[in-house]
Amino acid sequence: MNHPIISILLSVLAALSIAAEVLALRRLRRAEPTAGEDRAQRGIVVAVAVGAGTVFAYRYVSSGQWQPLTAHLDGLLLISALLAITIAFIQTRPRLFGLSAFGLPLLTLMLAWGVCSAAWTYRPFNLDTLHPVWMGFHLTCVYLGTLCAAVAAIAGGMFLYVQRRLKQKRDLPGLGKLASLERLELLIIQTASLGFTILTLALITGLILLIDQPGGLPAGWWLDPKIVLATAAWLVYAVVMNVRYATTFRGQRAAWLSIAGFVLLLLAYGIVTSMPGPVVVAYGGPG
Amino acid sequence: MRILLLGVNHRTADVQLREKLAMAGGPLNAALARLRETYADAEFVLVSTCNRTELYTARPSHAAPSIEDLRNVLADLSGVEVGAVTAATIHREQEQAVAHLFRVCSGLDSMVLGETQILGQVKRAYEVASAANAIGPVLHRVFQSALSAARKVRADTGIDAGRVSVGSVAVDFARQVFDDFADKTIVGVGAGEMAKTTLKHLKALNPHRLWLVNRTAQRAAELAATIGVGHPGGGPRAWDELDELMVDADVMVTSTGATEPIITAERFKPLARRRRNRPLFIIDIAVPRDVDPTVGGLSNIYLYNVDDLESVVEATRDQRRDLVAQCDGLLTGHVAACMSQLQNQDIGRLVRELRRRLLDIGEAERERTRRKLTAQLNGDAERAEKILDEHTHRLINKILHLPLSQLDHGNPDAPLGFYAAALRRLFDLSDTPPKS
Repeated sequence: MNHPIISILLSVLAALSIAAEVLALRRLRRAEPTAGEDRAQRGIVVAVAVGAGTVFAYRYVSSGQWQPLTAHLDGLLLISALLAITIAFIQTRPRLFGLSAFGLPLLTLMLAWGVCSAAWTYRPFNLDTLHPVWMGFHLTCVYLGTLCAAVAAIAGGMFLYVQRRLKQKRDLPGLGKLASLERLELLIIQTASLGFTILTLALITGLILLIDQPGGLPAGWWLDPKIVLATAAWLVYAVVMNVRYATTFRGQRAAWLSIAGFVLLLLAYGIVTSMPGPVVVAYGGPG
Repeated sequence: MRILLLGVNHRTADVQLREKLAMAGGPLNAALARLRETYADAEFVLVSTCNRTELYTARPSHAAPSIEDLRNVLADLSGVEVGAVTAATIHREQEQAVAHLFRVCSGLDSMVLGETQILGQVKRAYEVASAANAIGPVLHRVFQSALSAARKVRADTGIDAGRVSVGSVAVDFARQVFDDFADKTIVGVGAGEMAKTTLKHLKALNPHRLWLVNRTAQRAAELAATIGVGHPGGGPRAWDELDELMVDADVMVTSTGATEPIITAERFKPLARRRRNRPLFIIDIAVPRDVDPTVGGLSNIYLYNVDDLESVVEATRDQRRDLVAQCDGLLTGHVAACMSQLQNQDIGRLVRELRRRLLDIGEAERERTRRKLTAQLNGDAERAEKILDEHTHRLINKILHLPLSQLDHGNPDAPLGFYAAALRRLFDLSDTPPKS
């Protein structure tokens, strides 16, 4: 199930993602982009998408189960593949191309996390004790919601970068390669709205799974760090999706919030599930 | 064929003379028809824009028209004295004329370095000449190569990238803040000349509203008429409505003659809440400034003054200047390739002509020999050998007569070394002198 080759493959994909990021940063710094480097960057991102998708498919086929997600590694692979596809799409839009410089570090992070997950902290889900249908739905929502959060955070990062350059009046001629603030804010709002909806479903199904456990809801379940962090992220997205009405949070604040929401999600998924010791809401067994 | 260029441009002639020499539509076609009629063996393309009038000609090497002929034609067509035309025109020949056209198409010879309009203008001139049947294989090749090379050089170097006027830079920045202007309001405060140009650029973005405010209502109305805005898409507004307009505005252009800032942070802060934190892009073109710099520090406000915009314009110009050498380097290769293609085209014609001429000579000699043999040969082998020897010598002498006559020892300007090298190369002759 978890061959060492997967760790090696993910390491290669992470290295490719870093190479694409280097090209993306060079592009941002250049006065004029070069067609050759753009093609190379696109090619690498597509290769990463195909690579992550292939590893994900391989694990699914070899698991012999109907659920595609049998460990967090699968979720990370799925997010990586979807994120790479999203970045590849972004790169087809001339004024959004610059976004890839902000998305590729996230992709690298996901892949690096996947390497850790595969090599050192591999822990399959305890699918026998959880309702398989709710579990599948919950995990799908969690990972798709995270993808939306990632895109919102990427747009937020780019918003802050463009705004900083506009305010500081630095390298102004090069700004034309980047999306306008209005478009970025719209992207933040749209992805945050979609993420909010999907994460709401994830929270509800997560709660159902908790209730479905033997013994029902454990005492103090609402104080579990994962619940607290996930709810905090959910609240952040509730604000971000309404910045046009809650105008206090407009512009720069919305961008920071979208990044903060994604960091909260990362904390919720990453630190809590990887930390040793018992947690109220953990899918994995102790190994 | 020899390629000639005769022309005036923004460097060699003032605007009055350029206006007189400029031709378009009917006069252009008439000029081409006249040139074609007068010099039937030559090819012509007349490129005429506001910054240049250039006549490109390809004619047989030792035939008319000469540069003087072309000057006379230009003077005659425009009604300008020949002396004035002579003083203002440049002329180039062969590779230099071709290189000039390549530079023109690439925008390297333009007033605004790298501008793209010239490419379309040259293309239209070429099409007009083509339609007037004033163009032949030489200028077809030259113009097609020039247009293609210019596109490639522009794409490879980005010489045409970036903005070179304050108005267009302002538009670029506005587009960096906003994506769609269909729901945006632009407010012009003051009626300076540069503001007028900038507002014209911004109006091209099709904003929802474009309001103009001035202390003198009449001037605001005049500016509105000049820019072409009116109800319901905007128009002049009273000066005391400025605060209300600042609440509505998404883009503001200020250029009043005020000696103190008219928009300060204190004035703006109470309006920010009513603006619901919408971003505002302010272009302050006035000197002294109309907007206090502290306003630029407020959240969601992007303030640019004329120096900021000028610095971008200058950066673009510097960037383009740096690219000129790169463009010239690339163009040198394209020009050489074009000249080589022209030479190959010419050699092809030469070989065909040479073959035809030799065949004519051979045919004439064969007929003569046949007649002699029929009349005189009655089984006498020695006689037949003599006749054939004579035939061969006559044939060779006739073939060599023309090339050898070019090796004119009496002409000090004749490139004898070149001719000799060419003959040795063509006929594979040794250049080593005999031992004895």
